[in-house]
Amino acid sequence: MFETLLDDIAQNSTFRHIHPGTKILLGLGSLLICLVSPTPVVPLLSGIILSGVLLIPARVSPLVYGELLFAPVVFTAFSIIVLLFMLGGGDVVWRFSPVSWINLTITENAVKQSELILFRVFGCTVSLFFITLTTPMTDLFNIMKRCRIPPELIDLMMIMYRYIFIFYEQAREIWQAQVMRLGYGRVKESIHSFSQLCGMLFISSWIAGEDLIRAMDCRCYNGIMPTLEAPEPIKMQSLIPVVVYLSGLGGILLVITTGIVVVP
Amino acid sequence: MKIILEARDVRYRYPGNQEAVKGISFHIKPCEKIALVGPNGAGKSTLLQMFNGMIRPTSGTILFDNEPVRYDRDALRQLRRRVGFVLQNSDRQIIAPTVYQDVAFGPANLGYDEPAIHNAVALALRQVGLEGFERRPPHHLSGGEKKRVAIAGVLAMDPDVLVFDEPTSGLDPSGSEDLMELLDELNHEGKTIIISTHDVELAYPWADRAILLLDGKILEEDVPDVAFGNLDHVRMAHLSVPTLLELSTELSKRGFALPDRKPRSVLDMVHIIESHLHGSCSHPAPGTITVCNVDEGETSSLPVWVNARPGIIVGAMGTRAKQCAAKEQLAPEFTYGVIDKCILRALRGQDSLILTTSGMAGRVVTRVDAYCKESGNTIRVLPFRSSGQHTSAEKENDKV
Repeated sequence: MFETLLDDIAQNSTFRHIHPGTKILLGLGSLLICLVSPTPVVPLLSGIILSGVLLIPARVSPLVYGELLFAPVVFTAFSIIVLLFMLGGGDVVWRFSPVSWINLTITENAVKQSELILFRVFGCTVSLFFITLTTPMTDLFNIMKRCRIPPELIDLMMIMYRYIFIFYEQAREIWQAQVMRLGYGRVKESIHSFSQLCGMLFISSWIAGEDLIRAMDCRCYNGIMPTLEAPEPIKMQSLIPVVVYLSGLGGILLVITTGIVVVP
Repeated sequence: MKIILEARDVRYRYPGNQEAVKGISFHIKPCEKIALVGPNGAGKSTLLQMFNGMIRPTSGTILFDNEPVRYDRDALRQLRRRVGFVLQNSDRQIIAPTVYQDVAFGPANLGYDEPAIHNAVALALRQVGLEGFERRPPHHLSGGEKKRVAIAGVLAMDPDVLVFDEPTSGLDPSGSEDLMELLDELNHEGKTIIISTHDVELAYPWADRAILLLDGKILEEDVPDVAFGNLDHVRMAHLSVPTLLELSTELSKRGFALPDRKPRSVLDMVHIIESHLHGSCSHPAPGTITVCNVDEGETSSLPVWVNARPGIIVGAMGTRAKQCAAKEQLAPEFTYGVIDKCILRALRGQDSLILTTSGMAGRVVTRVDAYCKESGNTIRVLPFRSSGQHTSAEKENDKV
């Protein structure tokens, strides 16, 4: 249910009325700053602040947010363990060498690099979550149109988005029907059932496609897919905090990199 | 006689199959309510799809507005603008990712400019009672709401004829009743409405004319009490006789002298039974029916007005009236067949209040008058006035 859950949160977000442009500026801006930052402090700061914004004014349930963050955290944690041993340079911090031909070492440089990567991932993930959890897909289409993405592409995306939920529901129904008749009991059966599910889904999407053309014809289709305008124009009271936040973050980054303040 | 849609000996054969429609001819007048009734595979859907040119008959002609339908692109677009088609499965009809975009689909493709699209969408959503749903994605809506979005999408093109394939399938009983009420409302705004259905109980009181289809042919085409009254045909078409009709047949077989006109509603039936038991049941003085038009005048005094009259029954007729009732936190007892039910209550001596919309306000008076004339009862219909005014009006009435 995760796909629909994300969509639900965005649809019911308290930030729903804010112009999507403002939210995307904040999300992509902090993403960019996190990516270019050579120190882990800036992404960490950005991640914490944006998480706070998501949890308090945007009222995302902490439990759901935790669950969402869990997947990337686990993934990154495993990658970091590998990176710690792979990267090199600097003094050796820890060495593991039970036999002569196994030599696992963690160096100072590797620790620094891994730390940076960990926090970058955190900062970037939260930035993207900010967009995902506050801006419904339907508002993003509007922005894409403004960005001069070809309308044919956007129309297709809109139809895809519309049908994700229909096919998702259909797949769930087929799956349930299979489970009820013990379709996934053994490995061999599971493979068989799953291939049947895919086949059924393909056929039903084919039929849905034909029906779609007919439904569009019924309503005088002439190549136009109407767009939804933004909920409200860009407002200063939401844009200004975003600009202040981003320039603050950028400022901190500048100060740290130019070495006016030395971070230990 | 004006005719809006006509079929002349139309036939249709699906590729490689046997004929689905085997020579059907009929005509439909403007503002009629037609129910196409028949078992599965009778050719109902096929026939319906001919009305807006989705299916081209193999032989025979369909005439719209006395002109044979032409099947070139532009002519078809014109036809489809004027004959709106609502599919059985709303999920298959709703194309766009938000309600606004979906309802705007027709007008945008017809080349309306931005403000005109906006107006058309606002009006259509108002007609189906979904104002404020513009930004909602369809997968967040209930079955009934999806159906309404599908209807709004068609209404936005302002068609003359609305064709519904199984409009109540998949809706719960109250959802079906709401939908039939909406169809009545649209019919009252001047739209011709054609539905296909299996639901005899729903079609019987609703339709002006019923067409029974079986095996690609018309079995019977008449007013509902005649069409559904032919037991052989009803059995052949795998349908059931409406309860009211069955009851009246049983009664007449038991020697009750019944009027020629068959009962169409519970009210008719009650009237028939009571006229037989004349004298043996006592009647209190009939109650009054107050009509409040929610489109005109202020409605904020409604709760006070209702609270001042304990025991009053509230009925809401039409989408906006129901919304108004919800807004004023009134719980209407009736939302379907409101006038008849209020007359029934009035006969038992209870007062009622009907919330209604401009388009349907006149209907209350017409219906009550017609009933009074037929039955010889007198039921007073009063216009709604906010508290202070009304008491004085009532006093005047008392004096009279």
